[in-house]
Amino acid sequence: MQRTADGGWNPYFAGALGGLLLTLSVWFAGMYFSASNAFVRTAGILEKLVGPERAAGMDYFTKYVPKIDWEWMFVIGIFLGSLVSSTTSGSFLLKAVPDMWQQRFGPSRVKRDTFAFLGGMIIMFGARLSGG
Amino acid sequence: MIMLAYGLITGMLFGFLLQKGRVLRFDKQIGALRLIDLTIFKFMGTNVIVAMIGIYLLKDLGLVQLDLLPTVLGKNIIGGLIFGVGWAVLGYCPGTAGGAAGEGRWDAVFGALGMVAAAVIMAELYSAAAPAASSGWGNFGKITLPQALGVNHWFVIAFFLTMYLVIFRWVEKRGK
Repeated sequence: MQRTADGGWNPYFAGALGGLLLTLSVWFAGMYFSASNAFVRTAGILEKLVGPERAAGMDYFTKYVPKIDWEWMFVIGIFLGSLVSSTTSGSFLLKAVPDMWQQRFGPSRVKRDTFAFLGGMIIMFGARLSGG
Repeated sequence: MIMLAYGLITGMLFGFLLQKGRVLRFDKQIGALRLIDLTIFKFMGTNVIVAMIGIYLLKDLGLVQLDLLPTVLGKNIIGGLIFGVGWAVLGYCPGTAGGAAGEGRWDAVFGALGMVAAAVIMAELYSAAAPAASSGWGNFGKITLPQALGVNHWFVIAFFLTMYLVIFRWVEKRGK
């Protein structure tokens, strides 16, 4: 198979395999892919560590029970799968500031990390509001 | 326990494919939003088309069930617009932030921390804000596109497959 310029697989091929994986997941485990609930459950697990009684009384954590479930393991799995793929192919790269960001906003790590944090907050507000 | 193992294995395989497809990187995600590198749309588009055909095939054979979230137009549209702003600032989505960290992108870790922080804030505000958040304009309930249109699902699938082929043929001709 022909590699892309950055050494990756053809994105149509990788995407098709992803679609096959999703189909098999629905068939064998009854699970569709989603990730945002895992962050809500993580928040609940942290709240439970800080104040178990308070967390138990919060409506949100009655709706989204703070526990490790399929989706939580799925998100951890994505991290591990990417780690395996990148380290075994020489494409792992420790990088704090993305190239395209640096070209436009400069090399400051603090600036990039601050906006990454804020972007993460906004994306999660949007995801939860839309129901995704 | 078996479900946790399924989740981990499925996630690892998907993370492997996302990394091979080079769709986890900030430059690819923002490149797609700027329409200068359409790699992630090729990956996502093909993923959706293959799964759409596969899952409806299995559904027709009585082997799987659909798992629908309600369609509430007001919340879906406003939430989607906010999600898009956050995606453009962060450069990763909730699913890919962990994968980006897995190939060494440190900024994705701060994005994931922001997501957890937002979830904490929402949990704290939930009891007070729940009545406002639960009122939904344009609530159609758990409905699929074929149900809404009142047609056989294979017509809808054929339409999307045709659109997919036309769009990505054009994209490849343009060399994006």
